[in-house]
This record gives sequence, structure tokens and C-alpha cells, in this order.
Amino acid sequence: MEKYKRVTGAAAPLMRINIDTEVVIPINRLIGNKRGELGRYCFEAWRYAPDGGENSEFVLNQPRYRAAQILVAGDNFGCGSSREHAVWSLADFGFRCIIAPSFGDIFYWNCFQNGVLPIRLPEDQVKKLAAEIEAADQPLVTVDLETQAITTPSGHKIAFTTDPERRDALLEGLDDIGMTLKLDAQIRAHQRRDHESRPWIYRREETARVARLLILAGDGIGPEILAEVRKVAEWFIAKRQLSVELREELFGISAWKAHGDLMRQQTWDEIVAADAILFGATGSPEYEKIPAAARKVDQLLRMRKELDLFCNLRPVRTLPALGASSSLRPEVIADCDMMIVRELCGGIYFGEPRGREKLNSGGERAVNTCMYTTGEVERIARAAFDLARGRSGRVCSVDKSNVLTETGGLWRDTVQALRDQYYPEIELSHMYVDNCAMQLVRAPKQFDVLVTENLFGDILSDCAAMVAGSLGMLPSASLGPIRPDGGRHALYEPIHGSAPDIAGKGIANPLGAIMSFALCLRFSLGLAQEADRLERAVDAAISHGARTADIAQPGEGVISTKAMGDAVLAELEKMQ
Amino acid sequence: MPGRTLFEKIWTQHVVAELSGDLSLLAVDRHFLHDLEGGPNFIRLAKLGYRVHDPDLTYAMPDHAIASSPGRTTDTNPTGGRLLREMRRGAFASGIKLFDIGDESQGIVHVAAPEMGLTLPGATVVCPDSHTCTHGAFGALAIAIGSSEVAHVLATQTLRQKKPKMMRIRFEGRRASGVSAKDVILATIGRLGTAVGRGYAVEYAGSLVGELTIEERLTICNLSIELGSKTGIMTPDDTTYQYLAGLPYAPKNALFDQAVAHWRKLSSDDDALFDAEHTIHVPDIAPQITWGTSPQDVIDVSGRIPDPSGEPNADRRKNMEAALKYMGLRPGDAIEGTPIDWVFIGSCTNGRLSDLREAVTALAGRKVAPHVRAWVVAGSEAVKRAAEREGLDRKFLDAGFEWREPGCSMCLGANGDIIAPGERSVSTTNRNFVGRQGPGARTHLASPAMAAAAAVAGHIADVRKLGH
Repeated sequence: MEKYKRVTGAAAPLMRINIDTEVVIPINRLIGNKRGELGRYCFEAWRYAPDGGENSEFVLNQPRYRAAQILVAGDNFGCGSSREHAVWSLADFGFRCIIAPSFGDIFYWNCFQNGVLPIRLPEDQVKKLAAEIEAADQPLVTVDLETQAITTPSGHKIAFTTDPERRDALLEGLDDIGMTLKLDAQIRAHQRRDHESRPWIYRREETARVARLLILAGDGIGPEILAEVRKVAEWFIAKRQLSVELREELFGISAWKAHGDLMRQQTWDEIVAADAILFGATGSPEYEKIPAAARKVDQLLRMRKELDLFCNLRPVRTLPALGASSSLRPEVIADCDMMIVRELCGGIYFGEPRGREKLNSGGERAVNTCMYTTGEVERIARAAFDLARGRSGRVCSVDKSNVLTETGGLWRDTVQALRDQYYPEIELSHMYVDNCAMQLVRAPKQFDVLVTENLFGDILSDCAAMVAGSLGMLPSASLGPIRPDGGRHALYEPIHGSAPDIAGKGIANPLGAIMSFALCLRFSLGLAQEADRLERAVDAAISHGARTADIAQPGEGVISTKAMGDAVLAELEKMQ
Repeated sequence: MPGRTLFEKIWTQHVVAELSGDLSLLAVDRHFLHDLEGGPNFIRLAKLGYRVHDPDLTYAMPDHAIASSPGRTTDTNPTGGRLLREMRRGAFASGIKLFDIGDESQGIVHVAAPEMGLTLPGATVVCPDSHTCTHGAFGALAIAIGSSEVAHVLATQTLRQKKPKMMRIRFEGRRASGVSAKDVILATIGRLGTAVGRGYAVEYAGSLVGELTIEERLTICNLSIELGSKTGIMTPDDTTYQYLAGLPYAPKNALFDQAVAHWRKLSSDDDALFDAEHTIHVPDIAPQITWGTSPQDVIDVSGRIPDPSGEPNADRRKNMEAALKYMGLRPGDAIEGTPIDWVFIGSCTNGRLSDLREAVTALAGRKVAPHVRAWVVAGSEAVKRAAEREGLDRKFLDAGFEWREPGCSMCLGANGDIIAPGERSVSTTNRNFVGRQGPGARTHLASPAMAAAAAVAGHIADVRKLGH
């Protein structure tokens, strides 16, 4: 806000009483018109005739008052509705000061927030001032906030008083929020005390408990990147009062080596009890050494299936600093921000019958079955629509209903029906998967929320990953259905694999895993602002040049996994 | 030391710090956002680089700019759609609960929030809308705030506020039959004027208050701002606690009992000092109707339109003349019989289930006059669904009313629901300002029963003469 010292300019007398905010600016002008552009609607009903022409009798249309900066008005100015637009429109017109015997309460305080000085003077003084202005050759008045004096056209001085704190704030051009946040420690102390005596006021009372986060670092580079995630989570616990308990279990080869079991019961119990799982990676050549019977079950798939993690979210966002690491042209991918919602528990990956059989002819026949039910489609579509409500409101549903008329047809009909019945505000489009694959690399910015079935989602999300430049950067969330108690199972993992070739070297990119923790903050812990904080810290680390090998251009300096984690922590510290 | 008022007790409990210039920094317990202010303030906050201090104490819902037409969607009113999308994005990004269109909980914030149990006794409630005073019906300290204050509350969960002076208005005696809460408060505004409460917090007391339902209390507190006061408040009592018990956002079980024990301490001490006191003799009040362009321009429905020539105050006389000219009325005429074009039943003043029931009772199976267009806009989705469950929608539709989607709608026309210039409406709303229901629109404020009576008669009518 501009500092307020002194105003010298034309003063316009408008000596009507009870000028309400509707007269200052009509309600129909509040919508679609921005602050800064409201001046032309100020006193619209009085300034203009119904045909749009100027009403020449109105004071502000008289040449001597057209550029008025000071308004002298009757009693109870700014009464009526609380709309702050009234002050904005007066300020946009050019008024810096309003003098009246009294003001509407809300209007009066709104003035100070917007660099307009409201001055209360006794009624007889206001009337005298108005009369003098009307009689003067030049309606020139000076209002000096420092000395709290009005100089009339004849040079006569009128003293006024203003609330001292408001006066200081105007003089210094200070923002109220900044002033109040200086007292934030007091605000938080008050809230803590109040929480003791009136717990029912705080909604968090019902949900606040220590959430259980389970780290399963897994194979390959999993342990080294999850170490960085742990560092970040501990920072949030220490610095942002994050209420979580971090637990850790061995998973994969390390579990086999320690327990002789890829999934001991204790680990499984921890998985089921966790509010969220922070997963690293799975996959290693060493699995070959484990007896086939012991590794028959893929433990990650088992978690997805048994925890019913049907909703897989893969956000894809381009960072300007990494534009060069994509194989697509920078202008094609700039500012891309989409969310792929993939169905994860149905479709051809799980459908029965499946198998291979020998044919009499000597060859083999292999079968997989793609199958979906209305309920399965509805719940993933609902997840996509709910997400879209908090974004642009656009959803693109991807299927192959022209050829796979059964599953594809059911998919398309169900998504459309759900949208028509419960989400009329969502802008829904449908696209065939072959076209979608092309569009993702041709014009990815057209997409916001994209929802699709399991197999197509697997393929399309890898395709979309190239939009972001590097697999190393991309997070994912796999969510279960919301239980009656409000909780849901969830697993967060970077989309890259275990990369056994670089495991243990300390050069892997931990950002995909760190961004997955941001998703955990948002979707499991309900802390959207903390998620945003972490994502901004990652963006800042990248834009300040932090690069692991996978995202470095030739000639750029490369840092270690640990140094990348430290870079993110440093940015978090800076934001505190 | 004199005793303290109810207002002062809640105020003191919420003072975080005393600031210079008689300002206090008040902790905010409930911050309600609507579509006109939500999105723009989220954007402003992001631009200023501040975060939401306590997302779990803020609740957002669209009401002002969304369409009311049956089958509406986000963009049925395009500017409303833009605002709603902005609010959705901001709420999602900051983790604020949003009650969206189609949700059972959506509605006019001053109708829906109390219905959910979000408004609690002893809480500080702020909202960027002048009718925030409504929430005082629960013994909450409700304060209407401006746009900049929204950003301040979002970023700090506090409000800088000057403590107002204390006023008590006592309603003594019982209501005559056919007299609603709306009539009581309109008559009060008529007697005391729209400036009497300026700078005051008004506590409503007297024998009538304890007899009122929560819905009626909400209607009375709703019009506090038309007395000039940002805050109206009533002592919570068993009626309040019974209303709150079991509501989704009210405390439950042991916590509820603990809360009630705390709330029972919330009343003005016998020796509390008020800076001003007024007493309204309730039995004198008849059904009210406004004739002018301020809520204080109100008379008994059996009365005659006042004559400005009898007004000694010159300013006031000029205003009366201008009002009569705008309203197209002649001094000395009976107001009853004035032909009307529109009836609007709804708003945060009278859009609750009890209001719709009251209107249906007054209709008594009769039809809306052929030249009158009549709308019912329920105050919330919950009200609408409850009314549909008990068949009120059918009765309105059969009578010739339109049955629309919940929101502020024609109370202020922010969503494009407006009345044509020169047309006359009887509305259950709160403001009859120039242009309030559309440029040139002429508004007569009245109770739901009076509005229904006018719809049937085709002119301003006395509901008591209509018979059932």
C-alpha cells in the first residue's frame, strides 16, 4: 500500500444523508469487475441517465469536481451492505479522503484498508466546509494526515483526529496482515490454551491423532532415496508440528536376508495398520536366488490388491528449469500440469480366466481377461471428478470403446452417467486411448485430469512422464476407498524403479520419492498447504541449480542423493 | 465492578492482544466464506505470499452468484461459475472444507452453517457479509467483515476489532396471532431506525426471546445490521442446545455435555451495564410491510403510506419524497391493495424450513394471482430436500410458484435473478434499497406468510384477513 501523507485536490460536496453502499456501487457491478476498474461505476445511478448518458446535474459531472480527490458528504455515509467494493470504487474514481459527520461502521474501517482516509467532523463543520467549497472559485482542499489538519479553499484550518494505530499504518503504508503476524506466537499460544478449555471449537480434535507412516524402502536405490524422505518428514515433524509417527520395516531382498521371509507377519500387520506407506522400490537380480515358492507372490501387487488401492494418482508437472531434459520441445511442454487417475485394481491385470495352454497343433494359446463392473468404474470416476473440482473442472476419460465395445462401452457409459447425475459442473470429454497417446506428446497442455483403466493408465502415465523430462522426478499415490471412519489405506512411491545398476552409489534422484511424500501430506494427512510448501521447496531447489545426474544437462554440476535432500531442506528452512 | 454482558464475556475470552487505538486482536473460531469473496481472497492471499493460518476453522460455500434455476450447473451463471471455480481451487489448495453445489450441506452460508452445527454458542463467527449477525441467534459473537479482513482472517485467524458499545433491546409480551419474528424485527427497525445500532452490539432480551424457536431467533438476529449493528446476540438456552444436539458439526457425547456446561455460563450478568436500552412492546406489533427504500420505512399492513409533508426534519423529508417517487406510491393511500408483479420467498432472513411451512399454511391451497410471478428459493439444499420430503414443493408448485435451487438469488440479484425496472415485489428478504432486486425494482419487505398472502391476492394483503 502506498504511504499516505497529504492530499491536495478538488473537494466535491455531496451533502445527502445515508448514502448507502448500493448507491456508491450497485451490486450487479461487483461481479466481473476487478478492483482497479470500479471507478466508472462509482455513483453510477446518479452519474448516468438510464440511457447511459451523463446526468449533467450530478455534482461529480460538473467540470470543477470531475477530478475530485476529496468527498464531503452527509451523515451516515457508506451505510448498508458491507461490500468493500464501495471503497474500491471510490478509490478507483480518485477519492483519497472522505469527510462526513459519521460513517457506516464497516465502510469506515474498510477505508483504512484501502488507502482512503475517512474523517469524522461535527455536522455543522461539515456543512460549513461544503458551503465554502461550493462558493469558492477553486474547490481546492488539503488534507494532511501527519498534522491532522484540513486546509479549506480560503486557507482556514480544521483539525481532525484519527485512530493512532490506523494513522500510523496509513502513514507507513503498512499491511495489516504483516503487522498481526508479528504477534503469531501469541496467537498460537492463545489457541493452545483455548483448545484446553473449549476443545469442541477445533475440528482437528476429532481427527487429531498421531498418524502412522510406514517406510518400506525396498530394493535397489529405495533405501538411499527413502533416507532423504525420512529427513524431510523429520523436518516437518520438528518445524511444522506434523503429527506423525515414522515406522520402518524391511521389504524385499533385505527382508529376505534378515528374516528369511519376504513378508513376515509383523511387517504385514504394520502395513495394514499404517495410515500411509512411503514406498521406495522393488526389483533386484537377487530375487533369482530366492526359492520360487517363497517369491511366488509379488508383495507390491498383494498390497495393492489386499488394501484395495484402486485409485492411482500420477501428477505430471513441468518445471521450467528442467525443460531441456525432456525430449519434447520446450514450448510444447511449458506449464503443463496434469493429473492422471489410473484404475489400479481391476481390468486385464486381474481378470479371470487367465493362463497358457498347449494346443494339439503344438502351439500354445494364452488368455487374459479384461473385465470391469459398474461399481469399479464409478469409484475411480468419482475420484477423478472430486479431484477436478479442486482444479480446473475438466476431466478427460480415456477408453477404447470403438473396438472394446464391452468394457470400453461400459466404461464410457458409466463415467458419463455419473457425471450427468452427480457432477453436472464437470466438463467431461472422452478420448480413445490411441489418440490420447498421440495427444500426450503432441499437445499435453490440453489435459488436466485424465482418468483411465488399468492397462491404458500404465502405458499413458509412462508416456506422460516424458513430458516432465525425467522419471526420477515423478511421484505417485495409490489410494484405497474411504472407510466409514474417514481414513483410507494409501501407498506413496516414486514411479521410477529400483535401478539396481546405480544402487548404493548415492547418485539416485530422491525428488520423486520426496514429491510422493508431498502427496502423502495432501491426500492422507489433509495438509494441503504443507504439501504445497514442500513442492515449492523442491521447485526452488531445482531452479537454484540442484541437479542429480539423471536431470543434469551436459556440463551442469551434479550432486549426490544426500545433497539433493539437503538442498530441499535448505529451501524449506528459507521459507520458514 | 459492574457485571459483564454476554457479548463482553465472549469478547474477553477471545482477546489475543490489545492493540493501540482501542483495537483488540480477536481470535476467530469460525470463518465462513462465500463465492463473492472466497476465490478473490485466495488469489489475493497467494499474491501477498501468505498462507491460510487454520484451514480447519474456515468453511466455504457458494451462495451469492450461483444460478437458482432448476438443473443449474457451475456455469449456468457464467460469472458465478468463474467465482466458484476460483473458490474451489483456493479451498482445495489450502485444505479448506467446501460445501459445493449439489452437496446436501450447500446453501446460503447463514442458513446452511447453523443447520450443520457449525455455529456454536460462545464462538466468534466472521463472514464477509453484512448479515453475519444472523449467527448471534446461538449466542455466538458474530461479526460482519470486509474483503480485506477476509484475507487477514485467512492469514492470521484473528480479527482487529474495536469493541462496540453495548445495547439491549427487550422484547416484552407475547405476539398477537398472525405476527411472525420478521414482523417483530421489522417493527423494531421502524421504531428505532436504521442508525440506532451503529457502533453497538445489540443483545436481544426480554420475555419473547425464550419463546422463540432457533429459526425465529435467526430471523431476528439477521436484521440486526438493518438497525445499524454488525452484531446481534441472544443468550443460548435449552432451545439452543436441543437444536444443536446431534448436528453433524456440533460436538458429540461427552464433549457435547462439556460444551453445554460451558455455554450455560454465557449470559449477561444481572448487573451488567448497557450503554443503551430499548424496550419493544410486542403485543402492539401487527404484520409489517415496508413502503420505502430503507427497512425503517415500514408500517402496519393496515396502515397508510406516510406523508413527507408531515416530516419536520428536512433531510428526512427529502429522503421520504425520493423513496415514494422510486416506489411509485402516493402519500396517504392505504398500502393494502397495492398491486404487485412479483413474490420472492427465500434469503438468509426467511429461507428456512419453518418459513416455507408458514408460507404454505398461508396459501391454504389457493393459487397465485395470474399476473404475479412467484418464486421460492430454499435457503439451503437441506431445507429444499426436507421441504420436498414433506411435500411443500408440490404445494408451492400447485399454487403456481416456481421451485428453485438454493442460494441468495433474488434477494440481491448477484446471480442475475432480478426484477424488471418499475416492477413491484413482496419479498421475504432483508433490504429494500434502491436497485437491490435489480435496477428500478420496487421491493416491499414482509414475512413469508404476508408474501404468500400477497401472491394469492395479487396485491399487498393482510394475511390475517385471508383466513385459512
